[in-house]
Amino acid sequence: MAEYPDRSQYPAHLPDGSCDIDLSSGKYLKLWQGPNHPGITGNMSVELTVCGDEVVEGRTHVGYLHRGFEKLMERRTFIQCFPIVCRICVPEPDFNEYCYAAAVEELAGVEVPEKANWIRTLILEMGRVNSYLMYLGGQAGAFGQGVIGQWTTYARDLMLDRFEELTGARIYHMFILPGGVRDDLPEGFDQRMEETLREIESTLADVHDTMFRNAVFKKRAMGLGRVDPAWVDEYGVTGPVARAAGVAKDVRSDQPYLVYRELDLEPVIAHESDAYARADVRRRDLLMSVDLIRQVLARMPRKGPVMATLPNVLHWKIPRGETYVRGECSRGEYGYYLVTDGSGYPRRVNVRGPSYTHAMALLEKLIVNVNISDVAGLLVSLHTYPPEIER
Amino acid sequence: MNEQSTPPAEGHRSGRDRLAASTTVAEILETAITFEQTARDFYRQLTPKVSKRIRWLVEELAEEEQRHYELFSDLLERDDLDEQIEAVIDRPAADTRFSDCIHLPDLGEKPDDQTVLQYAMGREHAAMEQYRELAESTAAGPIRDLFRYLAAEETLHKAELEKLYYETIHSGGV
Amino acid sequence: MSVRDVLSPFAAWKHLFRDPVSIKDPFNREASERYRGFHQNDIEKCIGCGTCEAICQNGAIDMLPVSGVDGVQTRPGDSGLRPRIDYGRCCWCALCVDVCMTGSLSMSNAYKWVEADPDKFRYIPGVDKKHWDDYEHGYRRPEGHRLNAPERIEMPELEPGERIDSFAEIVGGYSVEQARLEADRCVTCGICVATCPTHMPIPEYISAVRDGDYEAGLKLLYDSNPFSQICGKICTRRCETTCAASHEGDPIAIRWLKRHITEQVPFERYRAIIGEPAAATGHSVAIVGAGPAGMTTAFDLARLGHKVHVYEAQSHAGGMTRYGIPEYRLPFDTIQREIDLIVSMGVEMHYNTRIGADISMAQLQQDHDAVVLSIGLWLGRSTRVPGSDHRNVYKAVDLLRRIRDGEQLQAPKSMVVIGGGNVAMDIARSMARLQQQQHGQIAITLTALEDKSHFLADPVEIKESIEEQVTILDSRGPQECMVDDQDNLLGLRTWRVHSIFDENGRFAPSYDDGDEMVHEGEWVVEAIGQMSDVAILGDELTEKLDWNRGRIQVDEDGRTSESWLWSAGDMVRGPDVVHAVADGHRTARSIHAHLSALDKQENA
Repeated sequence: MAEYPDRSQYPAHLPDGSCDIDLSSGKYLKLWQGPNHPGITGNMSVELTVCGDEVVEGRTHVGYLHRGFEKLMERRTFIQCFPIVCRICVPEPDFNEYCYAAAVEELAGVEVPEKANWIRTLILEMGRVNSYLMYLGGQAGAFGQGVIGQWTTYARDLMLDRFEELTGARIYHMFILPGGVRDDLPEGFDQRMEETLREIESTLADVHDTMFRNAVFKKRAMGLGRVDPAWVDEYGVTGPVARAAGVAKDVRSDQPYLVYRELDLEPVIAHESDAYARADVRRRDLLMSVDLIRQVLARMPRKGPVMATLPNVLHWKIPRGETYVRGECSRGEYGYYLVTDGSGYPRRVNVRGPSYTHAMALLEKLIVNVNISDVAGLLVSLHTYPPEIER
Repeated sequence: MNEQSTPPAEGHRSGRDRLAASTTVAEILETAITFEQTARDFYRQLTPKVSKRIRWLVEELAEEEQRHYELFSDLLERDDLDEQIEAVIDRPAADTRFSDCIHLPDLGEKPDDQTVLQYAMGREHAAMEQYRELAESTAAGPIRDLFRYLAAEETLHKAELEKLYYETIHSGGV
Repeated sequence: MSVRDVLSPFAAWKHLFRDPVSIKDPFNREASERYRGFHQNDIEKCIGCGTCEAICQNGAIDMLPVSGVDGVQTRPGDSGLRPRIDYGRCCWCALCVDVCMTGSLSMSNAYKWVEADPDKFRYIPGVDKKHWDDYEHGYRRPEGHRLNAPERIEMPELEPGERIDSFAEIVGGYSVEQARLEADRCVTCGICVATCPTHMPIPEYISAVRDGDYEAGLKLLYDSNPFSQICGKICTRRCETTCAASHEGDPIAIRWLKRHITEQVPFERYRAIIGEPAAATGHSVAIVGAGPAGMTTAFDLARLGHKVHVYEAQSHAGGMTRYGIPEYRLPFDTIQREIDLIVSMGVEMHYNTRIGADISMAQLQQDHDAVVLSIGLWLGRSTRVPGSDHRNVYKAVDLLRRIRDGEQLQAPKSMVVIGGGNVAMDIARSMARLQQQQHGQIAITLTALEDKSHFLADPVEIKESIEEQVTILDSRGPQECMVDDQDNLLGLRTWRVHSIFDENGRFAPSYDDGDEMVHEGEWVVEAIGQMSDVAILGDELTEKLDWNRGRIQVDEDGRTSESWLWSAGDMVRGPDVVHAVADGHRTARSIHAHLSALDKQENA
């Protein structure tokens, strides 16, 4: 296990706790990682101050991807917001669709048909599988293991095929909309999904052999970016990062939404709280998602509507109100805070993505003393999707 | 159909007799032409007598008779008379029988549009019947073909008048 | 860490012996059946309502005129526009497909398109031909997936049993809640505005219902139609026949929403909302006939400050709305309120004044700067079949007038009506009520030349007539009103009509005399058509005027060949209230322009 020498003696801490970094001393160097696309972590950059090959300070810089979603939504009718929310998170867009739809439904008093909730759950778990597969490839790649990414991309592609046949699109599904979902499962979907799940399981077995039982990966990931369980509440850490620190936080079991109450699930936890533990929690969580997809398909009702009757969406006005709707995405708690004022437009939408806390506050804390070559691995281990930082 | 005293034309006993006595195609056509001429002149004379608002109707009727007059006159001149006749009797117009129940009215001094139309329809109907009858009582040959041709032409005209009648009278209510 | 951790990664080598998993021919991979690819549009089905454009949050859709292409024409119910999609903006969300009012718009599962010129990625589906136009697969709006409610909010009405023995109004009117729900269904496309003869701002006043802003709604109504209360009850509502919602659901109840606005505003407020007339101009206009056309002209001209005199032969204003439409459809007080409002603009009414008898056209010409003739179609046409001159063969318009004038008609025990229009339904249903009141039973047979699908009557009228026990026999050609030796009317003899129109939609009946029927009736009522009593003009004026196939020749503004005389309403445009209103507006505009020109001449 990589134990970093205690270098906390430099730079010297000032009485206010900040570092005294004298760049003209020649001892330190400013190094920017990003803002080019740093692998899977997306368009953000970390401004590193290094001493030798070790980071003494890291500042995250975001804003390269700012498209102003929250503001855009204030100028769009409730139905018109539906196609744009998915774009807040490319690898796992469905949480945006779900949280937005659920918030609108709650404030407008729309009752969603039972079957639509099952299909929504199915889609969210499918999205989680995709997100984790993408993460595993990225995590391995950050430590120089290129082939894992190829395998997981293949597996993810199979799931994208399932998305394509179910929702009509591969990346931005635009399938969960206020009122329910667009359509029922296509004919023969269960069988093809089962084949896909088996292929994913087999890929995961390979990943387990080559990544998690890999001396290089272990050497670099173990002990890297250790998160103190005490920080979980302090920093608002959620999801696999929290669970790898032994804190069994999972919205699916803590505040069950959709049909999670009717599914068997147990939050996956670990205790080491380092990059390795986080990767392992995600791998096991992925397997649980595979199991949840099977449970959903086995238990879901096959008859009934999938869409509620909406008022005319062209001039749909929602009474004054506010709500916060949350769900457990692959990175942690995802939430939409929606305020309505009785008009045809949202008064305010706030998107709570876990990347905000993880990639900014937490990263800056964890990055100190990390070797430059491990920065990418550390960043990925926090599973950051920059667009959700800059909505 | 009631017999009319004026004008002597199709449907009139004397006219029928003249036609039945004719022996050549040219003779029959000439007789038919005089019928059309008489009818045209009748409508032309009627024109100033009716109210200005329905004068268009009488004028149209006169024009239609004039058209027939010209049609038959042209036919008489042509070398391919037989072919022309055959072409028409091969696609006979359907008799809709709409006018059957309409009395041939007395036009009187100040006829209205409906009276004029009914009168015109009655005349075409009578002419159609007459040519048809003549065709039936004539042995196969060019003369029978000609009668059938004339019957078809009159039926067509009657059908046109019936359309006009429907559009004018049956405006359907509100 | 163990030896296993060093050896385990070599498991990757087993993939050397695996077949490649990549797609062999990625260029020809077909997308899934539901794939949302490039748009398709059934150009015949599309009506160019622009709802797709309205919902598109990317502004990727523009409605472009394509009139003349592939049979697309600008006509009632079709704007002649078609959506053009900009793939530089489209995000493939398919809301346009979901909201499409006709179901014409869909998406193919084509997803590959390569062009050097970026402007090419902007095209009108269905018009600009593409190879995916006839792709079988792609996103179609799934069954049951609707973004607006397809069903109309039901109007509370009296049941047949409750209404048959009285002339009480059948329709109850929407509650505020019902009206809002109904108004909510409107997609604000405005296709109806083009169809409405008087171009009422329909989407705007429906918005006013949604917002509950009834005073603003009423202002919109009266700015375009002084017969709004009446039209709210009995308009022929062409607008609803072209309503975008009618293609995949019920049309919006436009007429009932108009009625709802007029019912929500207290009548005392009307005058203040509509506003005061302009200052007097000193011009005077005479209007002959106080029907919708004449009174609309009067309203407009009076608001412009002209002095208007209306000459009416009857004792009340309203024309056919007052004397032709039964009370169960249009109560007297509604008409009276409408007339009072118009009169309050400073219109002077001369009732019981018949042109030709009480005052001559020449007199009117002399006394006024302009004269409007709007005397409607008050003379009933007769079939003139044998027996139709019998004393018990009536014309529907005459009977309706007598009923609405308050005469206590003695209803016959049985009766036959000839005609398939609204007037035929009106008289059948009015007489059914009288029969029910006087005899306790109904025996009315309604025969028409047309088959039911070609009836001119409103389908609702047909449905309600049947509910009120009127026997409707379609496709019957009247042959004779049968009379016995004692000169008693026995009934009507008819033949079956096989078909009535030729392929061009023109009259070409074919009868079957083998199918003869005799319909018993002490009375026969003819309701086949109406004409105008233009004899009142006198021979001299008749001879002066230009005529067009039996009607007074007018230009598009209603002006006749005589420079002082305009003519408006049913007598020149055919029977319809809202057309008459539109005509009234046109005529008033034309007269106002004429009077303004006179002023200019005087000042010059």
